[in-house]
Amino acid sequence: MTQASAGSGPPGTSLSVPAGPQVRTRAWSRTPTARRYLFGYTLLAPAVLYVGLLVGVPFFFSLYLAMSDASVGEPIARFVGLENFRSALESAKFYIALRNTLAFTVGAAIMKGLLGTTLAFLLMQPFPGRKVVRALIVIPFTLPITISILGWKWMLDSQFSVFNWALSRLHLIGGYGSADWPVWLGQPGLALLSVMFVNVWRGFPFSAIVLMAGMTSVAPEIIEAAKVDGATFVQRFRKVIVPMIAPILFVGSAFDTVFTLSDLSVVYLLTNGGPDGATEVLPTLAYNMGIRAGALGRGAAVSLFLFPLLLPAMIVLLRTLRRRQY
Amino acid sequence: MATIAMRAGRAPRSPRAKAVRRTSLIYLGLTPFLVIAVFPIFWMVVTALKQEPDLYRMDVVPFWFHLPPTLKNFDFLFHRTSYGDWIVNTMLVAFWVSGITLLTAVPAGYALARLRLPFAENMGIAIFMTYLVPPIILFIPLARVVSILELQDSWWSLVVVYPTFTIPFCTWLLMGFFKTVPFEIEEAAMLDGCGQFGALLRVVLPVSLPGLITAVIFAFTLSMQDFLYSLAFVAVSDQKPVPLGVATELIRGDVYFWGSLMAGALLVGVPVAIVYNLFLDKFISGITGAAIK
Repeated sequence: MTQASAGSGPPGTSLSVPAGPQVRTRAWSRTPTARRYLFGYTLLAPAVLYVGLLVGVPFFFSLYLAMSDASVGEPIARFVGLENFRSALESAKFYIALRNTLAFTVGAAIMKGLLGTTLAFLLMQPFPGRKVVRALIVIPFTLPITISILGWKWMLDSQFSVFNWALSRLHLIGGYGSADWPVWLGQPGLALLSVMFVNVWRGFPFSAIVLMAGMTSVAPEIIEAAKVDGATFVQRFRKVIVPMIAPILFVGSAFDTVFTLSDLSVVYLLTNGGPDGATEVLPTLAYNMGIRAGALGRGAAVSLFLFPLLLPAMIVLLRTLRRRQY
Repeated sequence: MATIAMRAGRAPRSPRAKAVRRTSLIYLGLTPFLVIAVFPIFWMVVTALKQEPDLYRMDVVPFWFHLPPTLKNFDFLFHRTSYGDWIVNTMLVAFWVSGITLLTAVPAGYALARLRLPFAENMGIAIFMTYLVPPIILFIPLARVVSILELQDSWWSLVVVYPTFTIPFCTWLLMGFFKTVPFEIEEAAMLDGCGQFGALLRVVLPVSLPGLITAVIFAFTLSMQDFLYSLAFVAVSDQKPVPLGVATELIRGDVYFWGSLMAGALLVGVPVAIVYNLFLDKFISGITGAAIK
């Protein structure tokens, strides 16, 4: 902050000039501060314009679209008010998608939290080969999502699933075509579990790494100190570990929730919402309505229903980002 | 006396035995995670190298080859599909997106970090928050933008659209990065007669090279994570980027070209995963730096 006073011009000069407001304005525009601001906003302008034009404007345009009857075939849209939202709220499909979205997001978040925490504690121990193990375990997160989903689609194939082969060899299920042969992506309950599992598979390394990044520097010493002070494992867990990891896990989950809620690719590529809407989530519904069926307005309205769901996570993130220190 | 006691029992071996036991317990705990994380990759590699009939045999152990491994699936990709085009498209998109991102995010990150603008921190946060606006909300209006620019069915549409998430992310990343560059070197340059802009260009940027490289890496890896935009905007086969091309062109109706699918996916996925892996910590501290300090 010392630089701030040094850079913003000697305060003495403005005091020593007994001038009217006009003169002062002109003088101010020539001060180093003013030139720095001008320079700064010029540098900032391209990024702000780009993001403003291609995120800000489209966002508001999508609010407008959601209140119009725009469709792919008819470029001239009529204003229909909240009609699209109303018709969404009246369709059974929407509720199924909403329910699946919530179940999917919450269920997957819990799984990722549990697996991520376990993994983080294991990876924080010093042991030979730790770096290699870590690099291997984060593969699911670093592999481009489309690519890993295709791998899963093959592993969950209705006929040649490698899991089914294994289960059948262990005599846990019968052969192909028998009644207990699981069709992972073709049976409603299993399909929802499968898409959830793929999301968890992709996300658990992220939870673990976020936790580790937050804990490595302090955690072992604090836990050790508690141990020295005679705290039992349960006490250490409840009084030290949980309070320590909870806020970090919270932020990690908030990020993950934003990514999960808005992700189209897992469901779209694995099941495209099927069988019979069993895995339909808001993103796939919005995509299928807006692009496939061409009802842009209704698609936009459905996608906007994601916003209230995203808001809590975004507020969490906003608050933590504001606390960032250097 | 202690020595005698230790000789009497099995004490001398115990610290080491304890360490071995500890390590094996850790490995035991990690094994399920390792298997879950790595098995799909292993399975994809095996699939990519198998001959067609070998893929569909349920009577033998599928984890290894029963017919000699083959590169036919890769051959198919390059000769019977537009895979070559997809790679070129992906590279070109990455190149232009990185360029646009650097040209906008570097000045913005610098201005927000260094020039003591009023509300700089809040503006930085506002820009970063746009990274979190989901594509599924933006893609319908962006389709309009793409069609106004007459870029439908061209990879150029992706060049226009991808910076909507790379700019916010990289601005935020670089903002954090520029804050770590000492003010003194910049002041020294300005004393030596550089203007503020000269100081940025000649002193700050060269010092910040690692940050710039990181930004380019993320412009690339984040672009590779996209599926929705390319699906919505590019329907012509030879204009697609790799992830979309592999996911849409190697599935014809009910027929899946599994071998080639896996080959095409891995050929691009593995290098991206390796690069991302090396920069993962930067990604994590970039997005959460906040919570963690």
